[in-house]
Amino acid sequence: MIQFEGVTKTYGEGSNAVNALSGIDLTVETGEIFGVIGFSGAGKSSLIRCVNLLERPTKGKVFIHGKDLTSLSKREVRSTRKDIGMIFQHFNLLNSKTVFHNVAMPLLLSGFGKKEMSKRVAELLDFVGLHDKADQYPDQLSGGQKQRVGIARALATNPSVLLCDEATSALDPETTQSILDLLRKINKEYKITILIITHEMGVIREICDKVAVLENGVVLEHGSVFDVFTDPKHQTTQKFVRSIMNDHLPESILNDIRNKKNNHVYRIQFTGSSTGHPLLSKISREFDLDLNVLYGNITEIQGIPYGNLIVEFMGERNQIQKALLSIQQQSITVKDVIHHAS
Amino acid sequence: MLVSSEQIIDALWETIWMVSFSLVFSVIIGLPLGILLVITRKGHLLENASIFNTLNGIVNIFRSVPFIILLVAIVPVTRFIVGTSIGTSATIVPLVFYAGPYIARLIENSLLEVDKGVIEAAEAMGATPGQIIFRFLLPEALSSLVLAMTIATVGLVGASAMAGAVGGGGLGDLAITYGYQRFDTATMYITLGILIIMVQALQSTGNILSKKIRRS
Ligand SMILES: Nc1ncnc2c1ncn2[C@@H]1O[C@H](COP(=O)(O)OP(=O)(O)OP(=O)(O)O)[C@@H](O)[C@H]1O
Ligand SMILES: [Mg+2]
Repeated sequence: MIQFEGVTKTYGEGSNAVNALSGIDLTVETGEIFGVIGFSGAGKSSLIRCVNLLERPTKGKVFIHGKDLTSLSKREVRSTRKDIGMIFQHFNLLNSKTVFHNVAMPLLLSGFGKKEMSKRVAELLDFVGLHDKADQYPDQLSGGQKQRVGIARALATNPSVLLCDEATSALDPETTQSILDLLRKINKEYKITILIITHEMGVIREICDKVAVLENGVVLEHGSVFDVFTDPKHQTTQKFVRSIMNDHLPESILNDIRNKKNNHVYRIQFTGSSTGHPLLSKISREFDLDLNVLYGNITEIQGIPYGNLIVEFMGERNQIQKALLSIQQQSITVKDVIHHAS
Repeated sequence: MLVSSEQIIDALWETIWMVSFSLVFSVIIGLPLGILLVITRKGHLLENASIFNTLNGIVNIFRSVPFIILLVAIVPVTRFIVGTSIGTSATIVPLVFYAGPYIARLIENSLLEVDKGVIEAAEAMGATPGQIIFRFLLPEALSSLVLAMTIATVGLVGASAMAGAVGGGGLGDLAITYGYQRFDTATMYITLGILIIMVQALQSTGNILSKKIRRS
């Protein structure tokens, strides 16, 4: 478990002071994959670096499994860091060492014997799928392979927490996917708590259980990925959600709708089992309406199906009202598109 | 020609001797200095403004004195350490005073080239400052350090020839006393040729070694 308690980080002093984090309170439960998303400069790196004290909070505390890191001596901090693995956007491997020696480094630092070390490294390279690359040097590897080496290295000392600072930001979409799959496997098989920092909403949707949205050093909102995706409260969050749901109507269509006197365009959001019902055809028959689907998509978030339709209702006004009521009674969300600027 | 081939070979040995000894001592002084100049700077491993500023100042002072002046200026120190201020052993003292701070700067530069991310990864692994220096910084900078040492050695060859001018022996001494003062052109060109070959050989060896370490 990772807990941030009133964590504030200020760089510089006086007139040059930059407030990177302002009173962050967050809890990452054991075994969870927790994502922090934010635009550039939001304070994401500062936040994750406070977890292993690469950056010391100016104010506030950071707890790992209930232990306050900020109160520890240097030596104790170093030994705690061995329980916190970290991977980086630019991998940060030693270019002068082979893959084997890169992965062996944390073991070497902890005083492992040669035999034990070889065995453990082989195990780790097997796990990340690089057993045939042990004698290669980092500059002979692709970005995805380098990140796998980084992951193997981070896991060497059997940490209980893994920190990922933009771990997939330097990778292409396909490689990103394979690295995310590997992170999920680590979480499942080793029960390692993972904290992920990213600016890509896709990463959050793909593997996170919970998400926090960071802006200007403040958490705007946080909660389960499903809740935040289906009902983003803050404007910044909506922007992020839109960046991958891609459900906004083209301007020309929006204009057409606005120009009609009696426009009745609604966004209908289904979740879970309601995605399986033939809602529209039922409504159409029951209330004698013509329905024109302007946009539709269905995705899966955290394993739950989530549908999103933008529908133009055509017919008598009071019939439309009745239809909307009937939809709401099935606990399906309906929103006026024109007013819910989309 | 006024000198025998034996004299030339003796002078060559003297030069090699001066350069190698002063190189060893300069590295003994320059390496820790260079490391300290890196790790005590702002935002680094063991940030310490007073140590950094002091060392930085000392290195700058020595680096700003021209070698030929240093040679004369530290005669009392040389006399104290070696017992005499002339001869091949005596020139090693000013050579070390000259090359030590120079090597410190070269090493500082090489170490600063090491990717900050690597140091960060080391810290995140729970490495001690000592481990970071010896397991991360120095190995990562090795190829660049070899090149730096090559530059320093070539610099020492040049400086040792200059030291020859004030009675230090070696090829420089030969070139000046015979080639310059007695107009012995042949000696002048032969010593010059040997110096050129030495520098070429040093530089090529350094380049090859550095490339080998970098594996490219
Ligand atoms: N070492 C530092 N010294 C001074 N200011 C810093 C330092 N590190 C970060 N900052 C500032 O703190 C703020 C937050 O930076 P941070 O790196 O945490 O953001 P980020 O969300 O990780 O951004 P990015 O997505 O660009 O990596 C920025 O305004 C940045 O300029
Ligand atoms: Mg960052």
